[in-house]
Amino acid sequence: MASAASDASIANPQVLNKVKPLDMPRRELVENKRDFHWVTEKICGIVEGKTPIWWWFLFACSIFLASFTGIGLVYLVASGVGVWGLANPVNWGWAIVNFVFWIGIGHAGTLISAILCLLRQKWRTSINRAAEAMTIFAVICAGIFPVFHTGRPWFALLPGYLLPAPNSNWIWPQFRSPLEWDVFAVSTYGTVSVLFWYMGMLPDLGVLRDRAKVLWRKYFYGILAMGWRNSNRHWRNYEMAYLLLAGLSTPLVLSVHTIVSFDFAASNLPGWHTTIFPPYFVAGAIFSGFGMVLTLMLPLRAVYGLHDLITQYHIDCMCKIILATGTMVGYAYAMEFFIAWYGANPYEGFAFVNRAFGQYAWAYWIMISCNVISPQLFWFKWIRERHWLVWIICGFVNCGMWFERFVITCTSLANDFLPSSWGYYSPTIVDIFTFFGTFGLFSTLFLLFIRFLPLMPIAEIKAVMPQADAHGDHGKGEHH
Amino acid sequence: MKRIFKHPKPTDNDVVGPNYWRSPDELAGDPRFDTWLHQEFPSGAAVAEEGDRRTFLKLMGASFGLAGLGLSGCRMPKKYILPYSKQPENMIPGVSTYYASSQPGAKEHIPLVVETHQARPTKIEGNPSYAGFGGGTNGYAQASVLDLYDPDRARKSASKQAGTLSRGAALDEFIAAHKAYVPKQGKGLAILAEASSSPTRARLVAELKKKLPQTIWAEYEPVDSSNPEAALAALAGKRLRPLYHLDRAKRILSLDADFVATEPGHLKYARDFAKGRKILNSSEAGKMNRLYAVESNFTLTGGMADHRLRAATSHMPAFAALMAAELLSMTGGSQELIAVLKKQGTGLKVDQKWLTECARDLYKNRGEAVVFAGAHLPLEVHALAYAMNQALDAEGKTVTYVQLPDVDSASITTLAEAIEAGQIDQLFVLGGNPVYNAPADLDWAALQSKAGKVVRWGYHEDETAVDADVFVAATHYLESWGDGRTMDGVYVPVQPMILPLFDGISELEAVAHLAGVAFEDAQGYDLVRATFNAIAGTADQLAFDRWLTEGVLPESEFKVAVTAIAPANVVKFAAGQAMAAQVLSKDRLELRIVPSYHTYDGRYNNNGWLMEAPDPLNKLSWDNAVCISPQLAEELGLLANPIKMDRDGNLRMNANQFDTGREQAKIVELQVGDTVVKGPAHIQPGLADYTVVLSLGFGRTVTGRIGTDSRRPEARPHGFDVYPFVTAASPSLALNAQIKVTDEVYEMANTQEHWSMEGRAIIREANVEDYEKHPKFVDKMGMESHSPPIYGKHQDKSDQFKVTEIPRGGSAYETPEFTGEQQWGMSIDLNTCTGCNACVIACQSENNIPIVGKDQVLRGREMHWIRLDRYYSDGLNPQDNKEERMQIPHDPQVSFMGVACMHCELAPCESVCPVNATVHDQDGLNVMAYNRCVGTRYCANNCPYKVRRFNFFDYNKRDQNELYKGPLGEKNDVTTTQMQKNPDVTVRMRGVMEKCTYCVQRIQEAKIDQRTKAKDSANVNVKDGTIKTACQQVCPVDAIVFGDVADAATEVSRMKTSDRDYSVLGYLNIRPRTTYLAKLRNPNMAMPGAQQMPLSRVEYENRYGHASHGGDHGDAHASPSSAKAHH
Repeated sequence: MASAASDASIANPQVLNKVKPLDMPRRELVENKRDFHWVTEKICGIVEGKTPIWWWFLFACSIFLASFTGIGLVYLVASGVGVWGLANPVNWGWAIVNFVFWIGIGHAGTLISAILCLLRQKWRTSINRAAEAMTIFAVICAGIFPVFHTGRPWFALLPGYLLPAPNSNWIWPQFRSPLEWDVFAVSTYGTVSVLFWYMGMLPDLGVLRDRAKVLWRKYFYGILAMGWRNSNRHWRNYEMAYLLLAGLSTPLVLSVHTIVSFDFAASNLPGWHTTIFPPYFVAGAIFSGFGMVLTLMLPLRAVYGLHDLITQYHIDCMCKIILATGTMVGYAYAMEFFIAWYGANPYEGFAFVNRAFGQYAWAYWIMISCNVISPQLFWFKWIRERHWLVWIICGFVNCGMWFERFVITCTSLANDFLPSSWGYYSPTIVDIFTFFGTFGLFSTLFLLFIRFLPLMPIAEIKAVMPQADAHGDHGKGEHH
Repeated sequence: MKRIFKHPKPTDNDVVGPNYWRSPDELAGDPRFDTWLHQEFPSGAAVAEEGDRRTFLKLMGASFGLAGLGLSGCRMPKKYILPYSKQPENMIPGVSTYYASSQPGAKEHIPLVVETHQARPTKIEGNPSYAGFGGGTNGYAQASVLDLYDPDRARKSASKQAGTLSRGAALDEFIAAHKAYVPKQGKGLAILAEASSSPTRARLVAELKKKLPQTIWAEYEPVDSSNPEAALAALAGKRLRPLYHLDRAKRILSLDADFVATEPGHLKYARDFAKGRKILNSSEAGKMNRLYAVESNFTLTGGMADHRLRAATSHMPAFAALMAAELLSMTGGSQELIAVLKKQGTGLKVDQKWLTECARDLYKNRGEAVVFAGAHLPLEVHALAYAMNQALDAEGKTVTYVQLPDVDSASITTLAEAIEAGQIDQLFVLGGNPVYNAPADLDWAALQSKAGKVVRWGYHEDETAVDADVFVAATHYLESWGDGRTMDGVYVPVQPMILPLFDGISELEAVAHLAGVAFEDAQGYDLVRATFNAIAGTADQLAFDRWLTEGVLPESEFKVAVTAIAPANVVKFAAGQAMAAQVLSKDRLELRIVPSYHTYDGRYNNNGWLMEAPDPLNKLSWDNAVCISPQLAEELGLLANPIKMDRDGNLRMNANQFDTGREQAKIVELQVGDTVVKGPAHIQPGLADYTVVLSLGFGRTVTGRIGTDSRRPEARPHGFDVYPFVTAASPSLALNAQIKVTDEVYEMANTQEHWSMEGRAIIREANVEDYEKHPKFVDKMGMESHSPPIYGKHQDKSDQFKVTEIPRGGSAYETPEFTGEQQWGMSIDLNTCTGCNACVIACQSENNIPIVGKDQVLRGREMHWIRLDRYYSDGLNPQDNKEERMQIPHDPQVSFMGVACMHCELAPCESVCPVNATVHDQDGLNVMAYNRCVGTRYCANNCPYKVRRFNFFDYNKRDQNELYKGPLGEKNDVTTTQMQKNPDVTVRMRGVMEKCTYCVQRIQEAKIDQRTKAKDSANVNVKDGTIKTACQQVCPVDAIVFGDVADAATEVSRMKTSDRDYSVLGYLNIRPRTTYLAKLRNPNMAMPGAQQMPLSRVEYENRYGHASHGGDHGDAHASPSSAKAHH
């Protein structure tokens, strides 16, 4: 935390007078000089206040929407996978697209909590809790699809098939299959994300417990807080555990989507069999994850008046990450084409030309316009400051990323090696309902989260406020 | 299949000794049993005392049920039939028994060996003892076993007045009719039957005619093929039949004849023709025969042709006249005849050079050339064909004429006249379905009501049965005794494999009772036995047993007749007919009516296997279509919307309009005179421009659940009825037709949307000349030429080393261990495959593959384990011919490729399955553990050949119309259909992936058998040729060879040493065990339009071939010697 102005390491301090460095103060992470009490009141107030009417309305809508998934799955299991639009040659359709989509969404949370924590990006504090919750709910939504897309889910869930367990014939899962890697990658990711999220919440749950006036709240938060007493020893253990989990989660952020991308990359299908997939999928996942964080946080900010906690600076930061990852994704699209041409493999070449100009060209161009063109608007500050525009563009990003997975999964399958088996995939109403239902499930869980759990980490926000810094008033241009 | 157990009588010692018995017969013969029986069943004992095993089992069925005896015993036929060659010592549960039989047909019986499991026929195979077919059969024969178990077949006889009739009462109808007409000498009695080659039936008909001389015995076949014989009768005055010997022919000219797929005798013709195309190496390429095909429809024969000329069927007489004139002038034939012929041929627009060069080629090879005219063509064409064959010195060499026995039957027209005149007061309709399929100009439905009492003997309660006074249920041929002759006259038996499932009467029994044969002599067995005795000239039981065992009677074929066709007779024929070709146009179309690959003439309308198996050419399942040429489609404005990539020039346009994989066919109205028929139009490349091809057998109004299309709101039949265009005078051709396009659209289940290979090296083809110069041309095609499989330092090792060691070229990845003594592999010869579909249905029958129904096929969920890919090629490449890229080929070449699981050594499906459900066994099979499969479908995605099939629903359990109702839907009626299932193969449930297993059940059976024989010796290897996969067994041209690839001496290893052997998509380094022998064409370079290379190869060379990058690395055409350098 060295101060530039007083840095003795600079050989000749006079040089500063000569070059006149611009006075560029760090932007405040909590605006309007709020104090600690305000932060506590604000965040706890969301949980403790009366349930707003709009919450009930949204909650009812979400439950209703979520029931679509439930009905869809019951019908599916009762009748057979045939109720979806799948057929030879497109044996993976919306289910896998949705799985990759939701897993991608789930990336921002852990990235914000873990990587930004390790990189000491303090702006993460006001968004990480919600982003982590989003991650967990997205993983839940994602997890539904690989289980239920199987022909016999009752076996898929039984230990000894996908879950390694010795059975009477001593047959183990096939560890060379990327789908088996998925089982481990997603379950590990889900577990660590839940741990990270819950552990990070302990101090705040303690606060809620202490403030609770109703008996059930005392017990509810009391049990959840696991005896948190704010002691120094607790804090020391907490900080260490948090750091360890951050370290543990960091490779997971990269590994989960890398492994999900192996579902495609490890096959031999033109359009799937591509070495660029791991980085490209991770970039895409972060891209869509941040899109979803903004999609959720902007309305919350407006509804709960969190403008001082989620500032324009936060929004700028997230927009810039979207811009960067969107551009990476665009680069990957271009590189795929280049390699297909450079590799001189006619099947590979065809697969990519077919994506852009073939029967699914409409999906491809939706993907390009949403993922490559729309985030480029974030170069402009004017746009980043128009939050309704940011919100719309984030919607495009999410839509585009869904289409990216659709394009990869379906176009490659629909027109592969032998033209005799070419086909066309279109979803059925059951596919569509099951997918849209997961948005209901996601919103239901998220609404319950904002109603009952602290939306933001109270303690961590306080730690990045100027008041927390004992040396906070030392000169300008101080680095935090 | 009752077997007599010739156990010695129990000795006194046995009787007092412990209570063992070796068979129920023995038990029944045991004196102690009698005593016990009387105590146990005082009232039934008297019946059982007869010692008849069947009666015994009936009584004891329940008590022995647990021992498994009751189930197998209750369906045993009464008379003794004898198993074919592989007879197990006793009936062993789980071991199948094979019996020789044959499938009846109008012109020929197809000799069969029927596999039975505990007296249930489950699978039809060809009888290899009949050399002509070599064990080959066709799709119809394969599927006929399903008809036996058709839940919709007639189960009871019934009369309008008395309701349900017992079997005895039904028999009485025939006996009473005979008695009633004896005083009138048969006057007023008429019988309409199907044509048959059965000598027993002929004998009984003769007897009938003797006793009731005034009876009208008429025969009718909707697919008429009597013209070749009628023409010979007119020319030579004898009842002769031409038999072609295509194995001896080097040059063949086919005039609208589909001799590899639909002509009578096609199994033999296809087999013989293929013999002239079986080439192992380039050194033998010169031996290949050459086929010129002139045809209006695109037939499988046309698909095999080296030169194919599209010509209207109505132009065939004129074409034959010109061709005959050309040939006769070369041989110095009668000038008078030539002049007549030239006159007859005027007006026909045809490339003169085509005629001349074709004729010259035939003439140059006289003695080894033959002209084959389609059976549907008019008599004059056959007369000219015989004259041409005479000129080509073909008689006795490539064609022989055999003497047929005399028959005495009236035509349906004669019968119609008699009915019209009110002379008939009792009509028996034996088989057939005249109300549906009689010529439209006879208006049979109305006619039948004038015929007094109508007794209908039929297999289904169909259109004809609806208005009949009495309906008598028929038995299936697998339930009845019978006999018949093959095309060349070999006498074959029809043996019952099972007692009639329902109360049916066989045809022979029906005719015998009509003929007044004494009741005790009118049993099928006795009738056939009597005929056999007469034909074989012996009453020896052993001779009869031998005939039943072998399934053929040696030296019973028809005698070859020597005949010289006088040119004067031909002149009379040629001059007397109006042969001039009418000009055809959009407003003057000809309608060519052909039998359907699905239903034949309608008889297989309720057979799910045939309905679902796609037509080989147009790939439609469950429907027939109005097939029109691209030219006509263009004129009608029916062309499909261009597909998406056309702007980029990378995809050829689809011929038909598809929407999300479903063919959207415009309904058209066809009109001839006052007859209007509506049907969906399908654009079929390769048709003569103004010929519309229609297939028979659809649009049945009274049919079973398979023939009914429940997708359509009011449950209408599948397809549309073409019979309104069939007339007595011209059953297969209607002229002066008009076509009108309506706005209605009809969805058709087409299993192959895209027709072009897009220049990919999938089916590799060469011309003979090209092949002789570049024997290793297959290695110069496809990605493999750049990136062959990676064998590292083992590149030059033998195939046998490679299949056992699986070298990976230094890769660290572990490979499966192929430690089995025998390694299985397959070779498919694309040069002989005609695309006949028999393998598809044989596989379905052997492996319990469900049908899924039209709706599921529309969604792309057909389950066939082997499919036939069909590609058209016209040599055009979109980027080279921008202006033509939008065109659908008008005159393409077609090639077929049977694709089933290739059993890749490094199978991409295995490495992606998360649960180890698909793995390799030590013999190199890629096996499925159905119990393990959870259905992620990743394997299917990663299969580059897309041969894996997924059970999206419980297709076996659930009715095909109730799939979407889940557990609320109705279940299939499986009481009869499950009897067809092969007990050696798992019936898969929903959610499970399945695919070709190389018939692993047959492999295991043979291995177990061999190990049992080998005992402790090391001789455990199954002999080559013992195991035949179902697709291999059925193939009439032996295009599929299966066997041990670890042994260099096997047939399959020999095939794989061919220089034409290649792997499809070999560059993926997955090393398929099924490899292909490239297709060859043998064009005559002097012919117009002859190409240096086959069209598919032209497409490849233009698009991806080596020519484009300078030939600096082993250009196939620049330096064949550099072939080695590539690897």
